[in-house]
Amino acid sequence: MRTTDRFRLTGDYGMALVVADLVTTVAGMGRLSKRQAYRLRLAADEITTNITCHGYCGEKGVVDIEGGVGDDWVWLHIEDEAPPFDPTHHCRVTVPDAVQEGGYGLFLAVTGIDHFAYDYSGGRNRNTLLVRRLPAHEDTLDGGTDDECHRAAGRRTGSVH
Amino acid sequence: MSFQAKVRSQDGVVTFRLAGELDSRSAPRFHEMITQAVVPAARKLVLQMDELSYMSSAGLRCLVYAHQRAGNGVDIELVGTQPEVAETIRLTGFDRSLIMRAHR
Repeated sequence: MRTTDRFRLTGDYGMALVVADLVTTVAGMGRLSKRQAYRLRLAADEITTNITCHGYCGEKGVVDIEGGVGDDWVWLHIEDEAPPFDPTHHCRVTVPDAVQEGGYGLFLAVTGIDHFAYDYSGGRNRNTLLVRRLPAHEDTLDGGTDDECHRAAGRRTGSVH
Repeated sequence: MSFQAKVRSQDGVVTFRLAGELDSRSAPRFHEMITQAVVPAARKLVLQMDELSYMSSAGLRCLVYAHQRAGNGVDIELVGTQPEVAETIRLTGFDRSLIMRAHR
């Protein structure tokens, strides 16, 4: 398994750029499609933005992010030291019938990737973001079938798997 | 890529041309542009999206704000939205409140 460098962010203005660059790196390592890479970046952006905006109650705090590639998955770990917060318990599980003012960020983060997991240990929130690597013969395609299934799953049940 | 936006208003049609990345950093600026440009006399909003390469939920909230500010009966047309951005909109179901076109 290959991993990226581990970055410690403190809610600075350039944090989104670091997140984007890290996702670009790990997506390249895992040969993700453009669509997969976009979704992983979006999920990471939403989680880190949520932590910095809400996790530390207006104060600056650390956000650690690291990525890696295994045989089947590309993963990101995003950790912080804010009070316990499980994103899967704070987002809707289905697409709303009417237009909502907000609440889209965690919904996109949790439903937009192949698997999202949360745990709290040692005083740290740990968010795990997983995207399934395409088989070698499919990596020039854009994963349309998989995405269609996943979109349907997101609309129907809000499944995080 | 940094976010850029231009706005033009003519005959009640307010046209935004967006480029770059619309995220939590750039969304406040776009939000302010919407506040300034989307007035009660507006009868249609057009967003040229073909050069917008990334949009997070902060950007999506701007579109929702534009939708609310324009009011019922005002069409919001998104033109040339890149596939990944369009998919973000569709995931949230907000596409049902918009007109999405490949070209004008």
